[in-house]
Amino acid sequence: MKTILVVDDDEAIRTLLREELEEEGYKVVIATNARDALKMVETEPLDLVILDIRMPGMDGLEALPRILGLKEGLPVILNSAYSQYQESFMSWAADAYVVKSSDLTELKVKIKELVAK
Amino acid sequence: MDSMKKLTTIIMAGGKGERLFPLTRDKAKPVITFGGIYRILDFTLSNCLNSGIRRIYVLSQYGSFSLEQHLRQAWDVMHPDLNEFIYSMPPQQIMVNRWYRGTADSIYQNLTLLEQERPRQVLILSGDHVYKLNYREMMDFHLQHNADLTVAAVMVPRVEGSSFGILKVNEASEVENFLEKPKDPPGLPDNPDFSLVSMGVYIFNAETLVEEVIKDAKKKTSKHDFGGDIIPQMVGHKKVYAYNFQDPVTNTPRYWRDIGLLDAYFKAHQDLLGKAPVFELYDADWPVRSKPQLYPPSKYICSGSHVTVEDSLIASGCIIEGTVERSVLSPGVKVGVGATVCQAILWDGVEVGSGAHIRQAIIEEGVRVPPGFTIGLDHERDAKRFHVTENGVVVVPNNAVMVGD
Repeated sequence: MKTILVVDDDEAIRTLLREELEEEGYKVVIATNARDALKMVETEPLDLVILDIRMPGMDGLEALPRILGLKEGLPVILNSAYSQYQESFMSWAADAYVVKSSDLTELKVKIKELVAK
Repeated sequence: MDSMKKLTTIIMAGGKGERLFPLTRDKAKPVITFGGIYRILDFTLSNCLNSGIRRIYVLSQYGSFSLEQHLRQAWDVMHPDLNEFIYSMPPQQIMVNRWYRGTADSIYQNLTLLEQERPRQVLILSGDHVYKLNYREMMDFHLQHNADLTVAAVMVPRVEGSSFGILKVNEASEVENFLEKPKDPPGLPDNPDFSLVSMGVYIFNAETLVEEVIKDAKKKTSKHDFGGDIIPQMVGHKKVYAYNFQDPVTNTPRYWRDIGLLDAYFKAHQDLLGKAPVFELYDADWPVRSKPQLYPPSKYICSGSHVTVEDSLIASGCIIEGTVERSVLSPGVKVGVGATVCQAILWDGVEVGSGAHIRQAIIEEGVRVPPGFTIGLDHERDAKRFHVTENGVVVVPNNAVMVGD
């Protein structure tokens, strides 16, 4: 079973993603902020990270290179309600950028693609 | 708009310079003394200044204090009010928790800088090369060819190409491959006896650079080097061109030296000497800046014995009472009565005692050679005390202890 880390400060999003992804057959682990996420990346076996951008403390764009520095080759999907961060060079290091939507089809397709690699 | 306005310049100056040991024992390679009054980095920085570039990041790592010190003492010439600067940047450990793993990784680790600047192009230079190149002309070439990456390259006879990183190009100057020290270097399509050596000077479209260093950072097998990893990764997918650094009239290669080895360092000094030197420092159109230093004029004193100075460069503040031939003397060097200095590079404040003989040597700052002492005449004996290069150049470090012969 593939394990996905969901990093988001919004409880509703975390619950939605957990339910939907568990239904797809993934194991889902949760971090409510970037600092906890970094600790989990370091210690837990993960197959993919879904990373929110706007979070208090450390944001997703700051966390992204650190995640990649800790676990080279770990796929990361940036998942933000905003599309403008796609223009930031810092977001280009992610494997995918998916704008948040109630329809999770695009996110699920990207996950499937990336965990299969 | 001025094509250089949207350019960010980054100079790679972090290498350890192990092959220049012991000169790099206590300082970064780019700040090694060169040509009497310069540091190697001064040539690249002067190229920037002469090309109209006023915004420069110097990426440092090994021996970063010596570099920082030189930038403060010699290059505090920019006006931040006019958005001009030279900043030195050691690894910040903000984005990732590691040293620079290679030249490409040093860019990856500074992506925030490119995000803030948002340049159109990025000029990447090396801090340990001696040459005079107008980057503006290279930029014109880059724009004319609508290139994603332009690599500056210089021709060398094909038989000598095996010790360099060689670019294989087609007739349109498009790069087809990068070969690190190939056994059988490819010749140029229109000049088969010559191969193109990459000078480690690059103009990237900024977005291409960001994409490529990110791609490279994710490759576990990569050494994160521009020549060995980034160029091969781009060839065939992106428009990579070679800018041939040659005389536009005679089509002969222009002067470029990588000061990576002690023998190359020594040989490049010989290129500065004579009436028509291979590399001309007396060039009003292309001044090379260095640290301003206050010394009285050099003086040659005839105290009975003969004083001879031939084909040499003598900096200010030297006192010469002996013989100096084909040598380069930094400020404040003293050559005593009856001493001979031949084919030598003497750094700041070296004192050569009376009757001492020096030949084919590099002597670091402040070394006192005792009267009657000899260096470079008996290689077997020299090798017991000092470092002697493959070509027989003796290197005397600043912590050397010498007693009279």
